[in-house]
Amino acid sequence: MPGLRIDHDKCTECRMCYVACREIEINAVVVSPTAQHLLEIDERCTYPKCTVCLMYCPAEGSIVETGTGRSLVPPPAEVWTENRRWPRPA
Amino acid sequence: MNDSLENLGKSLAGELLKQSEQDASVTPMDAVLDAARAGKFTADQCFRLLACLWTLKRIMYYVYGGWAQGINLNEYPPAVAYLFGKQIYDESTQEMQFCDEILRQRWVRTQKQLFAHSYVKFGTATRTGAYIFCLRALANYPQNIRIAALNLGPKVIELAWTERFANALPDESLHALFQSQLAETRSHVLMGRFQVERFIQKVVDAQLAKRLCVETRRDYLFFLEETARFVLGMEAEKAGEVTVTADID
Repeated sequence: MPGLRIDHDKCTECRMCYVACREIEINAVVVSPTAQHLLEIDERCTYPKCTVCLMYCPAEGSIVETGTGRSLVPPPAEVWTENRRWPRPA
Repeated sequence: MNDSLENLGKSLAGELLKQSEQDASVTPMDAVLDAARAGKFTADQCFRLLACLWTLKRIMYYVYGGWAQGINLNEYPPAVAYLFGKQIYDESTQEMQFCDEILRQRWVRTQKQLFAHSYVKFGTATRTGAYIFCLRALANYPQNIRIAALNLGPKVIELAWTERFANALPDESLHALFQSQLAETRSHVLMGRFQVERFIQKVVDAQLAKRLCVETRRDYLFFLEETARFVLGMEAEKAGEVTVTADID
């Protein structure tokens, strides 16, 4: 169960989350196979271990915690740790 | 615009669409589809297919980069630049989808590994290379002519085989992938028709567009043949085996 989801009412589809997630080789942000091709976050997401997409997202409120619905953009203070901000692949 | 100029664009668009639809009725990709429907499509063959398609979409950045340099301010209404921008964005989306599916299937684990894989190598002396350089060379032509050559040529063929894949592929994720691309590719064809109808107003431009469209269609069909051969594990064509019969004049 992914810890994050994208709120499509607020997302601008800029794809920064996609690029950042590919860069650190988690690959959890994907293009949905629907005609709209919206971005989604799948089960490969390692949140709260990794928070890299939150650091690059420019659209306030567009990435939220699945369970609580809490907005994580801009990122709250507790996710601003060195390891979570840019976790290195094993 | 007077009636005769408007009719020139309309009749040209109709003619190019008709020719491309004829070419699209049977393509080498049908052999791939037949294999998939017959249950003879292995995971490796599927990887090969998506790798070839990903390579082409990826290299389209190189084509569009050259084309974008040739759009002059105020040469066309803003709608033309917008539609072109949308087309680049769509191709990028489709590229991402092919990459996503390869990673999701775990044929490679990271995008970095995918870039290094032998299946996605871009060779200049290949049919893919010939097609890409053919398109890149269109950077020297005005936007109305090159959009005619691409969007009413190869895009029509791409739409046809993608539709057949979307309708008949038994694999659910592949079916969804190709199905989701139809709206975009169809809009590129419609955009091509719009541009040709509105902005090709000289007889010489119409003749040039016809000639270039024959070339792009031919090279795209060769790309499809190369892809089908690679996917199905057939021997690559030998030098001299392929003869070009298209009458480009």
